[in-house]
Amino acid sequence: MPHIVIVGDRDSGKTTFLALLYAAQVKSGVTRADDFRFHVGLESLEEISEVFQQLMSGNFPDSAAKEGVSSITFHIASRKAGLGVLSRRRWRAWNPDASASLHFVLLRNLDDEMARYRTGSSLANTKLRDVLESDAMIILVDSTKLAGLGQEDSAAAMTTYDAAVESLVTAVQRSRGRGSPRRFHPIFIFSKFDSVPKEALRKAQLEGAPPTVRETNRRVAYARAFLDTNLKKTMERITAREIQGVRFVTPSYFFSRVTTEAATGDQKTRVRLRRIEGGGWEPDYSVDEYLALLDSLRKIATEASD
Amino acid sequence: MPCALLGDRASGKTTFLGLLYSAQVKYGTGVQDDFRFHAPIQSLNLMSAVYEGMKDGRFPSATLKEEITELGFIFGYLRKVVGKLPYYIRQQNWARPFSTLRFSAYDVSGEDIEEFIETGIASRPLIQQLLKSVVVVVLVDCSKMTTEIDTPAYKKMLRYDSTVAKLLVAFQTYKKQEYDRLKDSGVKAEAPVIYPAFVLSKFDTLRDDVLARLGLHRGFPDNKRQRKEYAEALLRVFVPQTLSQIRGGKVAGVSMDKAAYFLSWVHTETQEGMDPVGQSKIVRTAFAPEGGGEPDFSYDEYVTFIEHFRDIALKIPDEILESEKFQAQAMVRSA
Repeated sequence: MPHIVIVGDRDSGKTTFLALLYAAQVKSGVTRADDFRFHVGLESLEEISEVFQQLMSGNFPDSAAKEGVSSITFHIASRKAGLGVLSRRRWRAWNPDASASLHFVLLRNLDDEMARYRTGSSLANTKLRDVLESDAMIILVDSTKLAGLGQEDSAAAMTTYDAAVESLVTAVQRSRGRGSPRRFHPIFIFSKFDSVPKEALRKAQLEGAPPTVRETNRRVAYARAFLDTNLKKTMERITAREIQGVRFVTPSYFFSRVTTEAATGDQKTRVRLRRIEGGGWEPDYSVDEYLALLDSLRKIATEASD
Repeated sequence: MPCALLGDRASGKTTFLGLLYSAQVKYGTGVQDDFRFHAPIQSLNLMSAVYEGMKDGRFPSATLKEEITELGFIFGYLRKVVGKLPYYIRQQNWARPFSTLRFSAYDVSGEDIEEFIETGIASRPLIQQLLKSVVVVVLVDCSKMTTEIDTPAYKKMLRYDSTVAKLLVAFQTYKKQEYDRLKDSGVKAEAPVIYPAFVLSKFDTLRDDVLARLGLHRGFPDNKRQRKEYAEALLRVFVPQTLSQIRGGKVAGVSMDKAAYFLSWVHTETQEGMDPVGQSKIVRTAFAPEGGGEPDFSYDEYVTFIEHFRDIALKIPDEILESEKFQAQAMVRSA
């Protein structure tokens, strides 16, 4: 089962990200087409379902819920159109051996963890092994902290985080033996992308919303325009050709957004809910991005189990 | 084989059981005589009291918790082959004329299951028995179905969805653990199956604006496939986590996606233009040759419910034998 580490700065939206990933699965898992199914491990369901409830009530996860979510396992399977109604693969799609299992490990307080690691201590508790042996790393980039080219003061907001992520990536690289066949997938998630500063967009010479999930090349260029400035060290490390025999897979990029309703009086910022086809509600979020991410994770899991 | 009944507070569990009992009494005394039922004395005492009250127009007031923790019926279905034999032979016990299914409703709080959810260990025998259920009946209270997101009913339904999803995954996990244990012990076992049944309770209270928003009409179809589509349109909106985990069971190795759907309603007296004061009264049917003075409820749905378990009762015995065989072996080993 592939391990996927989620890292992010303080308040970058790690728990919200996981809750939205769960929401995307719930949505896909109840369609009339019945072409996607998933199962959540009992040990993880309590916590993720709590944050899901909070989102569906228009609230962001509270601190107690955040503390509760530290790792989660999803088993996902899909039988997309094109396999043919009578296809054997379609028929067997729901078998446990045809499903992909994903184990997410959430690394909180990355700065503190890496500071401790650099002084020779291990990462807190038993997560170290999960992190070093991970197959993929989801790197959350808090879009509200993004700066454009030349905005040095703003770029400083990301410096510490950049250093911490770069250290973690280096640690993963060093932990692998030369010529290790296991591939490592870096995945960047731009969280809160609806709140990216306009100045940052202008300086990065970007306009409006990111290209759709189908526009792969344009999407890479769009993401790199931010990352090459804001997470310079990390990007250099990840895109370096080959280090100690370990090669990273070309990174992928996703843009997460949740529409919010501004805080009023004593009420906190709320998640805006939208009506969906069929009469229900869901958070107003970038569902296409999450579905594309799920598909990408499914491929990683399939590759890891081959 | 036990059957678990899950329902939120005030979702109509006791009323459901009372109506089921009422349907059993009526259906079990039909001319065909192909369905019979039996209830242990404790269950019978309670259900008779509930039944009496309903025939008097009253909804049951006491919850199960105050009475007993397990309420059981044994359903007996006349086997098709046996049904063709002469009456005298059919009545002989050696002919095993009826295939049986034990229908048990447990009054267990969410906290009682927490131990298994948190530790993966069910130490209490009652919880073990509950988790062994092959049939899981989930009551979904239609009076709490609302599309107004800032209402307490909406939030209650969200919470209920999470609770039921967790319970269903607990059932799946327990079943999978048992199956793996059987396999490891060299006992050949069938892949685990759970048969879920959803009962849309208080269906008469489902609001027209909710149905309109979902593009549904009030009539519940007869056709099995259309029933599924109709019910799933409601579940998709109000208990999506539950529906997703029912389907997802197969991914985890526990087949749980052959759900059946039923309605439950009971007519209550209303006075035109006025809200009833206090507990509403049940409308009773007029007297006729086939009976009368019964609660006016969705009898046909309850008969469909009883009949649904006929197929399951025919399929289950092998699984019981496997499980019992394994338990006997385990006991011999530990002795």
